[in-house]
Amino acid sequence: MTTILNFLKPYKLLCFFTLLVMFVDVAGSLLIPTIMAKMIDAGIEGKDVSYMIQSGKIMLIVAIISGLSALLGSYLAATLSSKLGRDMRKAIYGKSLEFSSYDFERFGTGSMITRTMNDVNIVQQSAVWLIQMVLPVPAVCVSGVVMAFIIDASMGFLLIGAIVAIMSLSVFITRKASLIFDMLQKFLDKMNVLLRENISGVRVIRAFNKEKYEEKRMRKSFEDYAESAIRANRLFAALESFALFAVNFLFVIILWLGGNRIGIGLMEIGDIVALAQYVAIISFYIMMAQMVMIMMPRAIICVRRILEPLSRTPEIKDGNMSLDTSMEPTEEVVSFQKVSFRFADADENVLENLNFKCKKGETTAIIGGTGSGKSTIAKLILRFHDATSGAILLKGKDIKNLTQRELREHVSYVPQKVWLFSGAIADNLTHGSEPADEYRIKRALSAAQAEFVYDLPDGIYSRVSQGGANFSGGQKQRLSIARALSKKADMYIFDDSFSALDFKTDAALRKALAEETKDAAVLIISQRINAIINADQIVVLEEGKIVGIGNHDFLTKNCRVYQDIAKSQMAGQPFEGG
Amino acid sequence: MSDYNDNVDIVSSDSDFEIPINARQTIKKLWRSVGDQRGRLTAVLLSVFVYVLLSMISPMYSAYIVDRLWMDVKEAAEHGAIFRISLDACGRDILFLLLIYAVTAAFYTLQSFLMAGFAEKLNLRLRTEISEKLNKLPLSYFDRTKTGDILSRLINDLDKTSEVLQTGALKFFISIGLIAGSLVMMLRLSVALTIIFLIFMALALAATKFVSAKTLRFSKLRQQRVSEATAQVEEAYTGRVVIKAFNLEDNSYKNMSQAMDALADAHLKAEFFINAINPAIRLINRFGQVFIAVLAGNMLIEGRLSAGMFQAFLQYLNQASEPFTEAAYMINSIQAALASLERIYDMLEEEEISPEPASPSVINRAFGSVEFQNVRFGYTPDNILMRNVVFAVEPGQKVAIVGSTGAGKTTLINLLMRFYELNGGKILLDGIDIKTMTRSNLRDNLGMVLQDTWLFDGTVAENIAYGKPEASKEEIIAAAKAARADFFIRAMSNGYDTVLTNDSENISIGQRQLLTIARAFLRDPALIILDEATSSVDTRTEIEIGRAMKELMKNRTSFVIAHRLSTIIDADLILLMQNGNIIEQGTHKTLLKAKGAYADLYYSQFA
Repeated sequence: MTTILNFLKPYKLLCFFTLLVMFVDVAGSLLIPTIMAKMIDAGIEGKDVSYMIQSGKIMLIVAIISGLSALLGSYLAATLSSKLGRDMRKAIYGKSLEFSSYDFERFGTGSMITRTMNDVNIVQQSAVWLIQMVLPVPAVCVSGVVMAFIIDASMGFLLIGAIVAIMSLSVFITRKASLIFDMLQKFLDKMNVLLRENISGVRVIRAFNKEKYEEKRMRKSFEDYAESAIRANRLFAALESFALFAVNFLFVIILWLGGNRIGIGLMEIGDIVALAQYVAIISFYIMMAQMVMIMMPRAIICVRRILEPLSRTPEIKDGNMSLDTSMEPTEEVVSFQKVSFRFADADENVLENLNFKCKKGETTAIIGGTGSGKSTIAKLILRFHDATSGAILLKGKDIKNLTQRELREHVSYVPQKVWLFSGAIADNLTHGSEPADEYRIKRALSAAQAEFVYDLPDGIYSRVSQGGANFSGGQKQRLSIARALSKKADMYIFDDSFSALDFKTDAALRKALAEETKDAAVLIISQRINAIINADQIVVLEEGKIVGIGNHDFLTKNCRVYQDIAKSQMAGQPFEGG
Repeated sequence: MSDYNDNVDIVSSDSDFEIPINARQTIKKLWRSVGDQRGRLTAVLLSVFVYVLLSMISPMYSAYIVDRLWMDVKEAAEHGAIFRISLDACGRDILFLLLIYAVTAAFYTLQSFLMAGFAEKLNLRLRTEISEKLNKLPLSYFDRTKTGDILSRLINDLDKTSEVLQTGALKFFISIGLIAGSLVMMLRLSVALTIIFLIFMALALAATKFVSAKTLRFSKLRQQRVSEATAQVEEAYTGRVVIKAFNLEDNSYKNMSQAMDALADAHLKAEFFINAINPAIRLINRFGQVFIAVLAGNMLIEGRLSAGMFQAFLQYLNQASEPFTEAAYMINSIQAALASLERIYDMLEEEEISPEPASPSVINRAFGSVEFQNVRFGYTPDNILMRNVVFAVEPGQKVAIVGSTGAGKTTLINLLMRFYELNGGKILLDGIDIKTMTRSNLRDNLGMVLQDTWLFDGTVAENIAYGKPEASKEEIIAAAKAARADFFIRAMSNGYDTVLTNDSENISIGQRQLLTIARAFLRDPALIILDEATSSVDTRTEIEIGRAMKELMKNRTSFVIAHRLSTIIDADLILLMQNGNIIEQGTHKTLLKAKGAYADLYYSQFA
């Protein structure tokens, strides 16, 4: 909860005024029946018309002040809600940018989206409801009781008793409701899961003739849900009926006791009307607060979900040194020195004791099966993860001592999972720098064999939809390569980047690549031997260990694992026509 | 990506503002769905009637008590005595009022309880009907409908309907009763005061209309901004590796901030108008009360109104004004609910798969010959994909289907499984047209292992036994062993009792495939259809899958969507597909000799 208060801190004044105007509104709500009661008394005592008009004027003023306060209160509360939501969303997103891949995957993309959007929404709503509907309750109760005491002490005590009774019942019902709502949520999730299974598995279900069985399974989940929903609805119905009766019951007591007080001249007849109104107003506020309180457990869960990413300490810290650019350019761009890596929650190393160097003008390839740790190597160089032991040097400096920004300025990367941002193709290739350097873009596109871009109606300004969904796999891969090439770097990393290209394009691309990257080190990660056959140096990985290093000819002769891979790929070569 | 969008329930969806296309039709259908619950609905209406009646009596009665109290007090004072309430002095009346209140509350509870069950039972009925409908819909329906759409109909739409039915509809009945009754009583008390009340009510209604138009506009704006921001967040999180690799953090944060600012702006406006409606109406009502109080005060002085009647008038006024202002909102939500229901009924009226033949041919266990005779098919009739597919398979033969993505390999399998109906030609199993069999009999003979491995929430054992729920533990283990899955299953935390979920992370893609192979083994079908994996599976698992599939194909007619050269070379029949049609068929040898498309393909890739 403290973090939510932190988010409210900048708006202390706003909170204060919101509460203030709401209290004014509450005071007005109680004053109006008071004035009216006095008018009744005056009427039956036979006072004159001018008194009525006078009272009417006061009532009008009270109504206006309290009404405008309420409107202002709505505006202030809406402002507070929007600012709160905005700040929380920015904070979560800002924080996510500091996360390493490992940090981020603790939550996952789907969950992070939910946290940023839905959870914040619920919290911002609840915070405002809390301020608007729950915080005025004490004020209403206290002022109601005070006014009752002004009328008559016995009525004051009666009101206190009533408030205590209604409140304790509310607390009881809120508890019970939150249990039912928990169950309801569980049944709702179950219903969702089953339905989703039934839709995604429609072919399997039909292939196995399981339609009837699935219907039964779903029917059961619908019934469970309906049963809980009915219980929840009935609880609300009971609550409403009770509130209705409680107010009326109190009125009866007021009539009885009040009648006696009037009998001894301690109260006026109008006071009964006023008191009845106080009771109605107080119970209305308590009921509203109760509805909000029923939602609170859900909001608290959301708060927790928001806090989790916000309170996580990013795994990777920036260093404070920078590369000495005046130094003689070294031949070794990147070197791995006894590098081992394991995930924080794992027992086994993903990579173990890696030693190799990537030199300027040379191509290094990494080959191995899935799960051999190939892609992790790229992520270590970019510091998406930090090596558990050993050191990775960029031009002689340990990358942990550099800022991430500087490190990444020197490395260009084509990730295994191609992702293009929505917007123009050019936007994707300029990396946020404006204006777009058309020469550089053209050069990168032509090297990446992505000239198809010029055939599009808007050329390099054609639209890319989210993720690049409007392009084929091969086109996306080429655009992703062009993006990497349009960035000047000392090291280019291609993680399984040629898999969707046909033979001819692949060959042309490689030729162009050699030209583009001749002053840099190149690292190619692949599962397929024919993708790396010409590399200057091939690192063969198995279960995170280097089991061979050398060129193709050397490995073909001397490395058993490499021979196995070669054999299996000849027999199991993907065979796709077309 | 659609996976998490389905659960998005931010603020309000577009459907909050929808209007039904044909409300009358939908209401008629709803009435039919109400079915055996009509009695319950009648009981609700009766209860509402009694409730309203009592609500009309109680203020009048309390007015009578107040006035009598006042008279008695005055009278006692005139005699110099002190008035005390006793059973005879007003007490009995007060207790009778309490009784009226108790009965009122009882009827209120009764109608709410009845309605709570009514709405959910109706939902249960509609949900069950839809789940049954799902199994009768042709697969083409699922091809063109997003999962999220179906889910939101079945869950969100129906929940909304239920809410509207039990609170909205009930309140609607009650409101009508209360407004009518109260107005009658108010008119009896004072025509002048009632007219003032009506004038201010009209003002309040106008204000409601004005504000709700604004609310609608800004809620839509907010909804749109929420979608935009969600899309941007989704994109940024999915592409975060690229953002970091290219040092785009600042830029991305700036863009995100803009989206969030825009959303906050719309949120402020929408939220203000939503919150402002009640205070605004209250303000107008109070103006009315001021006038009424002054006038009524004068009437008191003149003796034309008693204190009790004054108070009773105020009570009627409250009873009538609340439903009045709720009406505008209620109409919106009732419309939205009808629109939701309309979508449900649309779904229930979707065209179903053709009925099963009246006297179907039955094949208990097929020998396994399959023949496609001049098969013609398109996913939509105006876009024919397969023009004339012809081939024949002998029992026990192995068929390799080869071709690029979109060549029609999966379509061929879909037709054999009769997931879709042909536009022409015939498919024969053991010489019998599959159309003359029931679908379930046909599918009993066919086993299928798809690349898209489908597991459900349940244990490993339950997943394997999906096609044969009566299977013993031993049979399940034997199937797992045959599928080479036993080894890794034993290594799992709870072995065969480990719980899996459809997107569970505790099992790799390769292992999921082995489980579906085990599922097929246990079922022991006469024919088997396999889809070889193309997705990244590590070499070892790939070899295991290959072996398991080979084992599964033994002694059965088998169809393999083949990606591996080894599978293709072994095949008894290769079908090379292109653009939906078979362009060449034969064995590896004969096709190479023919020097056609297959030979070209083979040499371009492997030579």
